[in-house]
Amino acid sequence: MSARKFAADKLLWETLGRWKRSSPELDRIQFLKTVPFFDQLSNRQLKRVSDITFERTYQTDELIFEEGQPGAALFLILDGKIAIEVCRETSTTRLAVLEKGAFFGEMALLDDTPRSATARALERTRTLALYRNDLNGLVYRHPRTACRIYRSLATMIGDRLRSTNELVQMKTPADTAGLG
Amino acid sequence: MSNVQDFEEKERERKVRRKVFYLTFATLALIFGGFLLWKLSSLILPIIVGCLLALAFRPVKERFRIRWLPHEIQVLCSFAAIGVVLFFAFNTFRKHIPDEEQKLEFKVRLQYKLNERYRQLVAKSPEGKANAVAALLEKELGPLMDKINQVLTLNAEERNLFLKYAAGYNGKPPIQSKFVDYFRANQTTGKYVIPEETPAGTASPTAPAAPTQPPAAEEGTSLESKFSAWILAPLIFLFLGFDNGQIRRFFISLVPNRYFELSLTVLDRLDDAIGRYLRGTLIECFLVGLTLALGLILLGIPPGIAVAIGVVSGLLNAIPFLGAVIALVIGVSYALIAEDVRPLIPGLNPNDLALYVVILVVIAHVLDDVVFQPFVLGGAVNVHPLVVVIAIIAGSLIMGLWGMLFAIPTVVVVKTAVETFFKELKDYRII
Repeated sequence: MSARKFAADKLLWETLGRWKRSSPELDRIQFLKTVPFFDQLSNRQLKRVSDITFERTYQTDELIFEEGQPGAALFLILDGKIAIEVCRETSTTRLAVLEKGAFFGEMALLDDTPRSATARALERTRTLALYRNDLNGLVYRHPRTACRIYRSLATMIGDRLRSTNELVQMKTPADTAGLG
Repeated sequence: MSNVQDFEEKERERKVRRKVFYLTFATLALIFGGFLLWKLSSLILPIIVGCLLALAFRPVKERFRIRWLPHEIQVLCSFAAIGVVLFFAFNTFRKHIPDEEQKLEFKVRLQYKLNERYRQLVAKSPEGKANAVAALLEKELGPLMDKINQVLTLNAEERNLFLKYAAGYNGKPPIQSKFVDYFRANQTTGKYVIPEETPAGTASPTAPAAPTQPPAAEEGTSLESKFSAWILAPLIFLFLGFDNGQIRRFFISLVPNRYFELSLTVLDRLDDAIGRYLRGTLIECFLVGLTLALGLILLGIPPGIAVAIGVVSGLLNAIPFLGAVIALVIGVSYALIAEDVRPLIPGLNPNDLALYVVILVVIAHVLDDVVFQPFVLGGAVNVHPLVVVIAIIAGSLIMGLWGMLFAIPTVVVVKTAVETFFKELKDYRII
């Protein structure tokens, strides 16, 4: 870390320290530090991200987004529980249950293709939403911050693709054997 | 089980209470908002102008951001830079706004030149015979010229003032002798159409009515209130410049969760479309103004006057159809009174300046329609010509010239808002 960056971070934390210890801004920044998506960001960069996020609270059973709707934002769970579900004709399949610190809807940061699943709050849940065009705006204002976020996103999508490929490779010999 | 039923019952009651609360609050807000709009109607225009300017200049603020400089200082610096540019533009423009002496001189000159042109137009042949076209023109234009003369003739007070300026008054050198000659010639100009005999004692219907002067105190108060209202425009521009998304966050926080992503998308698309339209219109007006100014300079009109006419015509170009007509009237009016014009383009006859100005205005507006508009606006916001005409008339009825100027941006805002809103409501499967 360069001396200038260190001084800037120190100044930021001193400023934040002057505020109430439990200020929502500080809480939000500390929360963002724990999210793997933003693990490459400095405190100052996390503050920039915090400035463009929206805090939303969902009641039990309330929908955060529905399958098929255009995606516009990534959601991070501040506290509470979320179920990711897929509806197929007569039945609903629960794909995952996400808790504090998890994130979902990240593909919406790339384009507005329809959501592939529905997100439902299983209990009273607080989330932070990061809107796609706000992140695009960050590219002009703070390109380094935006670049790091996009790199995390690319890495994460790459990991998923790799694991999907591995899954397909593991399944393929068995399928081929079955065909034979 | 009873606990669950109790909870559900309470939740149902809460929902009803919430609906009643929202409904009451919305009704009260509407009544209060309507009352404020009615009482503070003079503030609406400065607020709209401030908001539109902030929207138009936002990309400049975003693109020229200096990372190490605090946001507020950057906004203040850009505001100061825009202020300096506007100050110099206004100062240059003000130099060409005529003072009392120049106004009198202008009236005398305009009246003389118009009469001279009219006489040339309807001149009889050396044998004293008038051709059919000249006779027709005389019949049609005679009454109009009488009316123009009635408007341009100096009243007693103005005549005295002109004579004072002619001899040198208020520390100013005497008016050029040719203008004094024009003044004398104007005094002898009679009526072109002899009015029918009116019964004795009946006042002539064309006699100029004594101008009614508003009380000075009343005028001062109205000017003061107008000035204080217009102070809002730069203030709003400044504070919207300081805003780092807080206003949007506040409004988004009021939106129910179900419409959260939808409202973000709609706001963003609206912001983008309106911003692009505003910036496009500003650039288009600038290009039209520049074309006219350069053209007038090439026709031999002094650069200061040419730029002043270009600025006014460029700004008024924002009013479709009417902007071109006003530019034509201003340009031709100046061409009619211009003297000692030496066109920079060889082969042009200075006596036909008015005709060249008409051709120039036509060229500028053809260029605007064929090149500037498609290039700058890209046909992003297409409004039907009938809607444009109705909007301009409605705007002029509601707010005069300002209404005409803002009619089309308002139509564009409403059209874009409705289109975007319905499209997104369908995409989000809400309707």
